[in-house]
Amino acid sequence: MSRDRGRERESIQRGPNPPVRPDGGTESRSTWGARWAVARRELASLRSEKTIILALSIQLFIAAFSSFLVVGLVSLYDPGSVDGYQTEIAVTGDDTDTLLRVANGQDGVTAERYADRERAYDAFDDGSVSAVLDADRNPDGQLSVRAIVPEEGLRTTLLVVQIRNTLENVERVERQRNADDGRLERSPVPVPESIQASPYVGFTYTILLPLLCFLPVFISGSIVVDSLIEERQRGTLELLRVAPLSLAEIVDAKLVATAALAPLQAIAWFLLLAVNGTAIAAPVALVVLVAALSLLVVTVGVAVALWAPDRRQAQLLYSMATVGALVVATVLPEHPANTVAKFALGNPTAATWGLLAAYCLVAMGAFLALRRGIGGLEPDAL
Amino acid sequence: MSGGRLRRIVASARRLARQCRDVVARTSRIARWEVSRSAGTVDRKTVLALVVMALAIGTAGVSVSDSGLGLEREMYVAGVDEESRYYDVAVESEQFRAVPLDDIEADGGGDSTAETATIRGDANVDVVVTRDGRVGHVGDNGAAAYDAFRSAVEDYNAELMDDEADQAAAYPVLVSLEYQERDPDGSTDSGADDGNDAGSGDGTGGSTDGDGSATGGGGSSGTGDGDGRMQVPNVGDGGTSTSAGTPGSIAPPFPFESLVLAFLFVVPMNFVIQAYGSTIMDERVKRRGELLLVSPASRYEIVGGKTLPYLLGLVGIVAAITYAIEGGPIAVAATLPIALVFLAATFAGAMLARSFKELTFVTVTISVVLTTYTFIPAIFTDVNPIALISPLTLVVMDLQDESVRLGEYLFSTAPFYLSAVVLFLLGIGVYREEDMFAQKPIPTKVIDAIASRIHSRWSVPLLSVLFIPFVFAGQLLAVALLFAVPETVAVPVIIIIAAAIEEVAKSIHVYAGFARSRFDATLKTGVVLGVLSGAGFFVGEKITHIVQFVGLPELTVGAAAFGPAPSVSSEPVLYLAVLLAPLVLHVLTAVCSAIGASSGRNGYAIGFLVATLVHAGYNLGVLALVA
Repeated sequence: MSRDRGRERESIQRGPNPPVRPDGGTESRSTWGARWAVARRELASLRSEKTIILALSIQLFIAAFSSFLVVGLVSLYDPGSVDGYQTEIAVTGDDTDTLLRVANGQDGVTAERYADRERAYDAFDDGSVSAVLDADRNPDGQLSVRAIVPEEGLRTTLLVVQIRNTLENVERVERQRNADDGRLERSPVPVPESIQASPYVGFTYTILLPLLCFLPVFISGSIVVDSLIEERQRGTLELLRVAPLSLAEIVDAKLVATAALAPLQAIAWFLLLAVNGTAIAAPVALVVLVAALSLLVVTVGVAVALWAPDRRQAQLLYSMATVGALVVATVLPEHPANTVAKFALGNPTAATWGLLAAYCLVAMGAFLALRRGIGGLEPDAL
Repeated sequence: MSGGRLRRIVASARRLARQCRDVVARTSRIARWEVSRSAGTVDRKTVLALVVMALAIGTAGVSVSDSGLGLEREMYVAGVDEESRYYDVAVESEQFRAVPLDDIEADGGGDSTAETATIRGDANVDVVVTRDGRVGHVGDNGAAAYDAFRSAVEDYNAELMDDEADQAAAYPVLVSLEYQERDPDGSTDSGADDGNDAGSGDGTGGSTDGDGSATGGGGSSGTGDGDGRMQVPNVGDGGTSTSAGTPGSIAPPFPFESLVLAFLFVVPMNFVIQAYGSTIMDERVKRRGELLLVSPASRYEIVGGKTLPYLLGLVGIVAAITYAIEGGPIAVAATLPIALVFLAATFAGAMLARSFKELTFVTVTISVVLTTYTFIPAIFTDVNPIALISPLTLVVMDLQDESVRLGEYLFSTAPFYLSAVVLFLLGIGVYREEDMFAQKPIPTKVIDAIASRIHSRWSVPLLSVLFIPFVFAGQLLAVALLFAVPETVAVPVIIIIAAAIEEVAKSIHVYAGFARSRFDATLKTGVVLGVLSGAGFFVGEKITHIVQFVGLPELTVGAAAFGPAPSVSSEPVLYLAVLLAPLVLHVLTAVCSAIGASSGRNGYAIGFLVATLVHAGYNLGVLALVA
């Protein structure tokens, strides 16, 4: 306890000492030093409150839980991903040839023909088969199948998925036969053989990776909103202005310090993903993208914090603006998340590169506009 | 004499009523202030900005609902020639971008009908359709792209078939799916009968099906049962069936729509707690809260008044959503405890946070943790009764028109109510001058908050009981987070974490009592407090077991997860041992850490460590014994 207090005092001492301009130093070097002090103070407060650790663990938590969810759901819907799962199905009815052939050709399913319906249902009741497929041909020539499955929760889910896959294959075979008989105007395109492929690739690149790129950006913006509003409400911004810095320079320092956090976190996530076997094709482009978005969002955050009257409204405006921007971004030729996925997969198009350049330009433009706006701002009005 | 007593009772009742009225009056006045002040700070330009944003989001949202978010748009590249029949597949599919084969081949064309089409090294392509119509894949993500291409072909075929005139030929398979309970009795005693009757079954089934389904339950008439089910699918024993459709249309039981709707209930809470956290934090900036603290209103009234508008607002929103999506009152009743926990956790967080930044992260943490904690179990609503640990499951059940029993409601909401009360009480404990406006380290404030709840020795076992919901939540989260870690690491880690969480719950208030001089720091006091705390925890644990057995008798998983069932043995001595061994353990470990706590911070650390190790060792022993 006393150790904590001591550390806090120490960090206060290291804080924003308004540096006296060194006699020999030139004007520009001393403002750079002062800016560096402001930026360092900003980062130090993040460190001493352990906010940054909380921020990282939140992101890790979200990533872990969304992966947990996806792995769970995929294994629920893709019985093939559960090893050694074997289902026995009883097939009965008038027209079972195709059904039997297809079902026995499928992994994880064993189908047995029961000539007698009663026996098939008995086998279902005493548990020696998992499901009964009762197939008849109707007058239209369609194969009408009644599938009986037990009410057993999780196992039923797997079973129903297996039955669906089997029947879809049957449908494909029957359809092809109809096409060969000339009953269809256009023949269906043959479906390629199925292979073993990781079902998580789509999720990793289109959801998880964009999430890990955008969360740090969102968090950086949120930090800067809080930091500025707090200085305004507690009145410490006035103290800061004793420093040999203009308001624009103080804001600058805070802005750059927090905006730089996002690409650093993104790099950390990329490394973590690479260790876990998810290769990222164009990491440099992605880091540039995150940096540009971070600069843009943090600039918006600063503007909101200087403009809104108190924290509640600032946070509301900021979160509405960022969430809204993600929705509005769908009118772009590519959603930013899609841009991330394309860079990570290594399939960028001209539009992808163009958008990256556009984000950089917009971010720089917003930053310059904000500087100009702050230059015209009356500091005492805050 | 009895008249005098009656008068006294009436007088004291009157006094009580007056006090109640005063409390209500003060609370509601603070609530009114809160509303009017919050409404006052919303200025016109903020409202204008919000309206503009809402309009922009709305218009964009409408266009999104037509075309989708486009997250997967053109994420893979398919090399395919225009003549190929797969060309249209690649063009129609959102996930693929088609490039001509000429662009990606090493030698620039010719007859690449060979087994391996030579692909240029720097070409970006995942799936290749050779000129003879074979589909192959290239690169690390090629397999996944190939899989996606396969689904794209299926989607394309489905569209093609929708346009066909002869729908019977286009969709040659019809499926109806039926869920049926197994009935082993009905089949074991009827093997021979069924064989005899099979020939006439089809003919007579229609007339006997009524009897069949009525008597089939008892298993007395095997043939009737069999016939009945065969002819009339819908009269099966509570089985449900879907109408006939194509194979693609059958889906496993998964309450997707209800889940999405249930999620709607949690979303507004995340926004409301931001505002609520701000208003509590505002009281602590520039000593603004002092004005209310010196007023005649008590801390409870102040906090109650400040919380009430937000709680009512949330209930109003939830009721409106329920009305809009046609849910029942159960949905509101089940969401109320979630709202309370959100507010309570935010309140405690805002009392502890040192700056706005910290508050933001605390509220985001609360949002993320509580949203996942309530949402994830609800996914398994139809699969496993353990889903009831989240009240959101009740909402999903309600939206699916399933009835909710009182036992189920209590089982899933009681821990939430209890947690909310505990968090509010802890927060109110530090709602006082010396903690609100001072920059104390967070651990100090936590100890302050807990110590303010200790009035006598009997507070110790009570707090042990009250911490139990947090223990369960913490252990569940630990299990969920460690699922990805290899089992050899995860199992010992989970055992230690589970033990540590329980030990914290049994000892933190004892330490707080010693640290804030609520108790004499003697060995004897330490032993007494340890015994009280351990026994209290044991009683609380047993109460939750009883609640489980009474409320959810079908939940065998819960019994396996939270301790051995007490009815394992018929031997009375062994039965008693199984029942009392945990009591001995809890008391022993609680005494360890309590004695440590009586001798200061370092002592507590050592005592806690020993207690955790003993507890983990015991758990390991039990696991080894069971296995």
